Amino acid sequence: MAMTVLVVDDSPTMVMSLKTTLAMSGFQVETAGNGQQALERLKSGLKPNLILTDINMPVMGGMELIKNVRALPGLRFVPILTLTTESETSKREEGKRAGATGWLVKPVSGNDLIAVIRKVLPGA
Amino acid sequence: MASASIRYNEENLAHGSVRAKQEDRKTQDDPQARFKRIRRQLVFESVSRCLLLAVLYVWIGYRMGPALAPYRAEFIELLIALAVVPGLLFKLWHWRLARRAIADLSSSGQLSYSKLSQMVAASKIVKADMRESGVYIDVLHGQIGDCMAESEREVMQVIEQIGLLNEQAVEKRQHIGRSVKSSQALSENIKKRVEANQEVMAALTFQLECQMTQMDTNFARIDSLARDIGELTPLIKVITSIAQQTSLLALNAEIEASRAGSAGRGFGVVALEVRKLSVLATKAAADISAGISAACGRVDEETAAAKASLDQYKSNAGMQNLIAGVDQMQHEFAHNCEVLIEVILDVDANYAESIQRLSEALGHIQFQDVMRQRLEHVQGALAQMRGHLQILADKGCNPEWDGRLEQTFKTLLDAHLSQYRMASQTVTHLAASGQTASHGESRPAIELF
Repeated sequence: MAMTVLVVDDSPTMVMSLKTTLAMSGFQVETAGNGQQALERLKSGLKPNLILTDINMPVMGGMELIKNVRALPGLRFVPILTLTTESETSKREEGKRAGATGWLVKPVSGNDLIAVIRKVLPGA
Repeated sequence: MASASIRYNEENLAHGSVRAKQEDRKTQDDPQARFKRIRRQLVFESVSRCLLLAVLYVWIGYRMGPALAPYRAEFIELLIALAVVPGLLFKLWHWRLARRAIADLSSSGQLSYSKLSQMVAASKIVKADMRESGVYIDVLHGQIGDCMAESEREVMQVIEQIGLLNEQAVEKRQHIGRSVKSSQALSENIKKRVEANQEVMAALTFQLECQMTQMDTNFARIDSLARDIGELTPLIKVITSIAQQTSLLALNAEIEASRAGSAGRGFGVVALEVRKLSVLATKAAADISAGISAACGRVDEETAAAKASLDQYKSNAGMQNLIAGVDQMQHEFAHNCEVLIEVILDVDANYAESIQRLSEALGHIQFQDVMRQRLEHVQGALAQMRGHLQILADKGCNPEWDGRLEQTFKTLLDAHLSQYRMASQTVTHLAASGQTASHGESRPAIELF
């Protein structure tokens, strides 16, 4: 059965390119335009195997989303990768403290992205 | 005038005393008072230094006494040269700064009405033009926004096309996968058939060789039979000769019977019948001879034709060639099947590589999002610049303005350094503003915690 990845990004091009990249590698992809939308979907029963989120988004950013996801009982241990333009060390440390599994700075090649996801999800 | 006051104030701060700086802070809201204070301070310092020099001169004259009287003048000149001249030069420079500031301040009072009107008109033009910069910046802002929107649309199209290409590639790979399976099955089937056909071919070849051997044997027997039949012809001649002699004897007997008269009548009848029989025998022998000759002729003709055909067949080895050809064709077909499978697998590998490259290309498309964020920051900076220029336009011609600004272009520019998200933004900022980049901690683009 294909593993599900929830892609959270406010940029339509990013969402579409990530969706295509992940679909090409056999992943089932769900999308959300910001942290709030993603959280609502998760609360309504979506159980992704991995969350791939941007940091700077309107309404609710990635950092807040990570903190909220970690507070949800069923999603405490789901891997969360950030894919962002933020490269500052302080932001990374903040993400690490919030509960992110990894920090990816855009642009990341499709093959590198898939390799990281397969490292985080060994069965994928 | 306000800008002039700020400039001279800064120079004074750079070169003046600590006390002057403190006082300057207290009176910085009144530029004219500040310059009056500077002038007073400079006059005071100059007078006090002159008095100090006079005291020093008197004191040296008193202390040195008559012993050094011949050298007193040179010694004093040396002291003045070493201690007083640099101070005087420094003061002279201060005087020049102060005079320039005072001249600027007093110039407004000396300007004619026409000059003042001209200055006011010029400042209004500058103010109006600065206000127009808002539209200018709005246009730039809009152009950048349109560029971003257009690039986003185009990138979406590219991603869509890549997605379609990927779907086609995946479909082709599935088709190729099915083709490979079919081809492999076909190849295996052909191999088995070739092996089976080789047995059939061998049996067929053997059968053919047996048939040819048998045909040779049959031809030999027919030849022998034809020869045996041909050998009957001399016997027919013997029979004919016997029949002719019998007929001659019967004729003689008939003649002798007629000479015997009635006693030989019965014998004459017999002789007559014998002669008739001999005639019939002669005719039958002739018919048999003709039949044998005709049969032998036909056998010879058929045998010759069959032999000629057999010889030609043997010389051409047509059947063997046909069998060998079929065998070779089967082997070539099997080989071509394997080559075809290799080609298909190669095409499949190419498709797989294409999919990998498409995935890479999709990764590179993320540059659009990176560029969008950088351009959004530039748009924000343009909006800041617009606001700041409007403030300058408003305050520049306001006579009530105290000359202070909450933010300057420098403070606005410096503030960007803390707003950047990407290291590349900071690098560009520092390079463009002539600053040196500090080598902070560099962490990898991909980091797992």
